[in-house]
Amino acid sequence: MSEIISQAALRALATEWISAGKNVAGPARVKPDLVLYRPLRSGNDLLLEGYQRPSNSIKEFLFPKSEKLYGYKIRGNSIELTENDTPLAAQVVIAARPCDAAALPVLDHVFNWDFHDEFYNRRRAATTVVTLACIGYDENCFCTSVGLDPGSDRGSDAILFELGNRQYEVRCTTEKGRALFGGKTQKSDLTGRSATGPEKRFDSQVVREFVGTHFEDPFWKEHALTCIGCGTCAFSCPACHCFDIVDAGPAAGNERVKTWDSCQFSMFTAHASGHNPRVVQAARQRQRILHKFVIYPEKFGEILCTGCGNCTRNCPVGLGVLSVVSEINHG
Amino acid sequence: MSTAAEFEPKIVAYVCNWCTYLGADLAGTARLEYPPNVRIIRLPCTGRIDFNLIIKALEVGADGVLVSGCHPGDCHYTSGNYHARRRWILFRELLNALGIDLRRIRFTWISAAEGRKWQGVVTEFTEQTRALGPYKELYAAGPVPNVPAPETATTEVRSFAAETELRATCRKLLAEGTVKVVIGYGARGPVVVTRPEDADRLVWNNHCYSNLTAYLKRKEIKALGKAAVIVKPCDEKSLVVLETESQFQRQDAQVIGMACEGVGQPKCAHCTARTPRFADVTFGKAAGPEPQGSPSPDRFAALMAMPSEERMAFWTEEFNRCVKCYACRQVCPMCYCERCIVDKNRPLAIDPAPSTKGNFAWQIARAFHLAGRCVGCGECSRACPAGIDLALLNISLRIAVQENFGHEAGVDPKAEPVIGSYALQDKEDFIG
Repeated sequence: MSEIISQAALRALATEWISAGKNVAGPARVKPDLVLYRPLRSGNDLLLEGYQRPSNSIKEFLFPKSEKLYGYKIRGNSIELTENDTPLAAQVVIAARPCDAAALPVLDHVFNWDFHDEFYNRRRAATTVVTLACIGYDENCFCTSVGLDPGSDRGSDAILFELGNRQYEVRCTTEKGRALFGGKTQKSDLTGRSATGPEKRFDSQVVREFVGTHFEDPFWKEHALTCIGCGTCAFSCPACHCFDIVDAGPAAGNERVKTWDSCQFSMFTAHASGHNPRVVQAARQRQRILHKFVIYPEKFGEILCTGCGNCTRNCPVGLGVLSVVSEINHG
Repeated sequence: MSTAAEFEPKIVAYVCNWCTYLGADLAGTARLEYPPNVRIIRLPCTGRIDFNLIIKALEVGADGVLVSGCHPGDCHYTSGNYHARRRWILFRELLNALGIDLRRIRFTWISAAEGRKWQGVVTEFTEQTRALGPYKELYAAGPVPNVPAPETATTEVRSFAAETELRATCRKLLAEGTVKVVIGYGARGPVVVTRPEDADRLVWNNHCYSNLTAYLKRKEIKALGKAAVIVKPCDEKSLVVLETESQFQRQDAQVIGMACEGVGQPKCAHCTARTPRFADVTFGKAAGPEPQGSPSPDRFAALMAMPSEERMAFWTEEFNRCVKCYACRQVCPMCYCERCIVDKNRPLAIDPAPSTKGNFAWQIARAFHLAGRCVGCGECSRACPAGIDLALLNISLRIAVQENFGHEAGVDPKAEPVIGSYALQDKEDFIG
């Protein structure tokens, strides 16, 4: 026996959540060739078909690109601090891709390892993730190469599987998920399925061994020659989580904010002394792959990549994890 | 008591040390009364008034900004005010394209002898600003009008015949040692080829989007030795600008021009050149005759046809998606600064957060630093992962540069840079 919901009912339900004061985010078409996860005004804005995956990731709803930590006022020689106690509404991310949801346990580890990041944690606690399993994949998808699959429910509170005819099977995996869909579904004997691909594009173990033992290999230098050093890969990655803490001055109302940062920027490792340990782009490219396939796995036991392919899709010059790692795996 | 009666406009005045500041001082010593709403900030010269300062004043809550310096011919440093005038002409166009209310910014010349003019200008500008009301929401969101998005590129790869000849030539150049490295297009994007046997990795097709001249500035590539760079006729223009700006010397690189068969929308919708003009060697066949003039895209006309509040609402919506990945800067051949203004934090010039204000500050700085230099390759729009049509801002400046100074970046290797030079007859109908 399964639980099912029609697309119309799902949209109506999303609208109902919005009316009840929840923030609801999901895929929406922003431009003819651009789909992004966005805050939705109505369930009707939700885009459920006709694209592989949004160009951004759901991490921005838990780890915003810019978040106020506290405000400050300077009066003479004294500084007055004001807490950021803006109330946080309950939030639902709907129709997330499995590769987005799977990145949340990764972020959970990072933001709760030595220091518990209250800003992340309170957003995480207020968020319910409803995933939509993939029925297709494109040439940049590689979830199966990093231990996931198009129907993976990792990190999801509920997952929807397409049944055709604009019907979805609903599988709730947590209490949060059940609270959203309880009493809203119908019983059925249909079971949804997800895509069977993409075929495995590389062996992550081979990559891990190579990366872990070829720190000085000329491969990095050669490969990074065309990297332009922007932060597109890191910022559209569901799992990349580096941030900077900056003072947005008086123009921004005197706030100390946490902002996204990327290991691909030369400023990322610039020391106050002027020294920069990663002075060339090759070292930065290597760092990104090393962190994903060696450093993070050594600490937390899993790969810091969910195979969404966003870095490759968005890269202005056709690089990204898949391009680099495929070359490693196939020599 | 009504709120209108309570409103006292805050005016920031950036004035030069030698003329206007003394003019204001004279007004004081002559006991001329003028509204106390003005906060004077003295700078050495109007030529030293950075455009970011004007934006910053409005961002921190000024309701109006007054910028004033010496009359033409009177500059203490000979020509600072002429340079300033030229910059203001263009800066106003950019602000207008963004939808910023130009009535909030007043430019004027006031000499050390014109205490009375200072009194008059401050009084009149304060009253005008009072009538306009507070400039509370500089970057006001609102209902977003529909600006047509650029049409998207075709997805099917179509190879062009000149590919074979291109590979053979590059193989030969590398084998003979004429060049050490070829910067070209590969199947997935740009490739850097250093071995003759790898020349077959080079492609020439309708997916060759990148402007490869951006790679010439990279240290890692320079270190490899003399390069051959493959350019489309539109990209080639950046080499002309780089050469004018002493960033590139022709003998440092072999320029391989490709007569263009088109790489699709939106780049080619407003093609300005189909045949390379400066390349050392040219391959292929142009898709048609050389286009006459460079019409601005319809989407730019649509943007400018809107009222300024709608333009601002449009840009607010667009810039709110900006994540500050700086792909726009990194793909741009003209962005070659060793350290970009956004990376400077002692002192902090631009709010580093990807917030509405921080994004506006960055995008204004990016666009204006390209005034008169942008060759219109459109890479910024193509690279943006948030789908922001950044090229529209560059187009506004390109049109202004053409209309005011008859200049087109990258066309005439002998032409003086627009910013950095001036003419005595530059227009000043907007300067009071």
